[in-house]
Amino acid sequence: MTPREVVRQLNALIGNLIELGLSESQNHPSERRDPSGSLEISFNGAERVTAALKNQPYKTIYDQLVSAQAYSVKMPDGALIQMSYRFTGEGLTGHRLAFFPSPYLEDFQNEPEIYEADEVFADIVAKSVVPFPVRFDFDSDGQRFEELNHPMSHLTLGQFKNCRIPVSAPLTPFQFLNFVLRNFYNTVHRSYANEMLVCAGSFADTIVGTESEVVHIRVGGG
Amino acid sequence: MVTTIWGATNKPLSSQALAEFFEEHDAYQGFLYIGYPIIGTPQGPFPIDALWVSEEKGAVIFNLVEGVALNGFQQDQDDSANKLEAKFRSHRDLMKGRNLAVELNVVTFAPAKQNLDGIGDETYAVCNFESLSEWINGLEWIDSSSFPSLLSVIQSISTIRKGKKRRDLKRDDSRGAKLKRLEDSIANLDNRQGQAVIETVAGVQRIRGLAGSGKTIVLALKAAYLHAQHPDWKIAVTFHTRSLKDQFKQLINTFSIEQTNEEPDWSNLHVIHAWGAPGGESRNGIYYSFCQSHGIEFHDFKSAKYKFGSDKAFEGACDEALKAASTALETYDAILVDEAQDLTPPFLQICYQMLKGKKRLVYAYDELQSLTNRSLPPPEEIFGEDKDGQPLVRFEQPAPGKPKQDIILEKCYRNSRPVLATAHALGFGIYRVPSDKTGTGLIQMFDQSQLWLDVGYEVVDGALADGQEVTLARGDKTSPEFLESHSSIDDLISFVKFESKDEQAAWLAREIRTNVADDELQPDDIIVINPDPLTTRKEVGKARKLLYEMGIESHLAGVDTSPDVFFDAGSGSITFTGIFRAKGNEAGMVYIINAQDCFQSWFQLATVRNRLFTAITRSKAWVRVLGVGEDMNSLIQEFQQAKERDFRLHFRYPDEEQRKRLTIVNRDLSVDDQQKVRRGAQGLESLIASLEAGTVFLEDLPDDAVAKLKKFLSDSGKS
Repeated sequence: MTPREVVRQLNALIGNLIELGLSESQNHPSERRDPSGSLEISFNGAERVTAALKNQPYKTIYDQLVSAQAYSVKMPDGALIQMSYRFTGEGLTGHRLAFFPSPYLEDFQNEPEIYEADEVFADIVAKSVVPFPVRFDFDSDGQRFEELNHPMSHLTLGQFKNCRIPVSAPLTPFQFLNFVLRNFYNTVHRSYANEMLVCAGSFADTIVGTESEVVHIRVGGG
Repeated sequence: MVTTIWGATNKPLSSQALAEFFEEHDAYQGFLYIGYPIIGTPQGPFPIDALWVSEEKGAVIFNLVEGVALNGFQQDQDDSANKLEAKFRSHRDLMKGRNLAVELNVVTFAPAKQNLDGIGDETYAVCNFESLSEWINGLEWIDSSSFPSLLSVIQSISTIRKGKKRRDLKRDDSRGAKLKRLEDSIANLDNRQGQAVIETVAGVQRIRGLAGSGKTIVLALKAAYLHAQHPDWKIAVTFHTRSLKDQFKQLINTFSIEQTNEEPDWSNLHVIHAWGAPGGESRNGIYYSFCQSHGIEFHDFKSAKYKFGSDKAFEGACDEALKAASTALETYDAILVDEAQDLTPPFLQICYQMLKGKKRLVYAYDELQSLTNRSLPPPEEIFGEDKDGQPLVRFEQPAPGKPKQDIILEKCYRNSRPVLATAHALGFGIYRVPSDKTGTGLIQMFDQSQLWLDVGYEVVDGALADGQEVTLARGDKTSPEFLESHSSIDDLISFVKFESKDEQAAWLAREIRTNVADDELQPDDIIVINPDPLTTRKEVGKARKLLYEMGIESHLAGVDTSPDVFFDAGSGSITFTGIFRAKGNEAGMVYIINAQDCFQSWFQLATVRNRLFTAITRSKAWVRVLGVGEDMNSLIQEFQQAKERDFRLHFRYPDEEQRKRLTIVNRDLSVDDQQKVRRGAQGLESLIASLEAGTVFLEDLPDDAVAKLKKFLSDSGKS
């Protein structure tokens, strides 16, 4: 996919989420070209997120992201979705696709009827649910890459420091959103199945050698 | 006669004596402020003991002495006079060139001092009760032309609301410019509000008024004022709507800085939710801390709802806590309650119990918020009786020289007359086509007709009495003219019907784009309300998507991780909301979509009409009521009737019998009850059909059931 296609897809997907009532608040994609010539496609507010968030309790991270409005989409249950891509020329060199569920769900008191009646919340209101962040990172930078230990495309669960589950390819915005909705908003995903936008397109495989011999994630449609 | 405004003072005896002095000497004019103003200085707040302003004598500071010790009074006089003069000097209206245009004097008043020799020397006057008039008579304000300015400086209390928003305005006639002028005009508290802020009762005080009459700001300023006067007091400000928390904190903070040059000490001044939850300071609440300190079971909403039912959740929880609590644990010196109508009497009792000695409880509420009836019972009922059967709280008749226990804020500053009257007309069904069940179009009505006057209507024709025709109108006194004169009536409030929801969404998005792009409105000047809380998320999707495609950000004020914030401050995003989150908030431009849902409802007519009322009354300036379908046409017809009558309410006041019927016919039914009614109706219809068809005969039915039914029908007059 080209940078144009990614921006177009992001806009179409966010528009679709809004229409379905699944975006409580959102930021348009932003584009920034850096001096080296690479193009960063992110969200308005991305620049407000600092690296200082590392090694903080999850609630702190989440609060900061909310107050900086650093997200592409905020879901009705408070979960944040961030989608950023980096291109050099037409080639994808990085992405950061993150899902930060709200750590405060159990505390809601306001309008609990609505809360209970609304299927958006069906998958997450159970008391046993542990909200934890999910991140798909891609970095084709040769310096960071280390076969098996630091796959170019990988999945990190719950901010575990060395959790990098190999992923066969970078994810398109659609592939990522679809993953989030299918797994964390399953009830909604099913009942809106007909109204949800489906986008074609994919990125080429980047998985190498031994990475596909361990438990890994295979991106479909590639 | 001098009007006394009783503030908080730690010199009660000399203050009382001063008030009595002016009561006895009723030839004097003007206003006497006790415990006010407080002047912000580099050293912190500097309270003036008492200040009298009058056209004849100018401004007179009273330094009060409780006992007989006068040491250092000269320096005290210099301090008070210099600080007040410094304050006056910052107002150009009070200056003539570089000189003060106000006659400013200071006197030490020591009523307990018996043998005062004269009235002190020329510079430093000391008086007691007997000699004070002699000193006053020696004063004269020769050129008192700046008296109105003096009064307004003293009365304005705060400029807190001014310049709240930076507006980049290029056109003088844009909506943004109009809104700015409106905001500036209501920035100054009116006299009544100012008095409500200052007047401090050593006991329970009630503040009532319509939504938009300024109760919240009065309470916030009052909290800040009490805190400034008594920094050591533990004071709590509490409320129902979570989004008020930030608003309160901000108002109190700004006011404190303005008045005292200092931020409030939040460890003594608590802004906390009424309910609360475990989890530290920011989640604390009055009810939660009551339970905690008494070691009794705490219910969160879920468990309270389960135990007491959805309507009575909080009431039930509070009531249970009250019964379980053994000894009184007095935590606070003063508690200020906003939105008391939503918090119910048991909660007020909890507050009462948590208060120390004097029981300084201030509770404010909307008299008319729910349109149902008096929203809270009188204080004698709320607070119960003591051991001897005497009510714990009783409001004294207002008397000169005494702080008022019962304050009505009669002016509504939020909604203009046409907007407010429309909201009432539709909410009560004043111009609704009469229903054959009740013989009237009315949906609900107050039992006490007096309430109409309390909320600012005047009788212009007929009589406000059971069974009588009456015409009610709002006047300039309760609905200031400047709220409506900025725009034409059709611009203030209009109803628009669409063929489809898509068309409605497209129109809405276009209008909002115009508001933002051409009208110089900011995104947070606009809210879009969908009255049905259960469908909001989806119903607003279409319009929000269109806005997104136009490059305009929007958000849903829904179940949110930060329930205390309503508008994402400065986010540049348009707020879409369901009716619950809209409560307690306001905006310049209000769009109500799907208003057709509020025209008719089989099982909750009063509820849907109340929603419409709440939605309309969110508007500070303009309202657009949008909807689709036949019901929308009917709603528009009701509005047209109100408009043709120049927003007067003309109707026959229902008598007691009718009112009872209204409450029954239009009552809210629970889902279970709805089913019962449906099943009952079906059963009845099928029975009738069988009887008509001759397949069942009356004789087949159990005799006593038939007899009961006969009796029932004849009793209810339906036979």
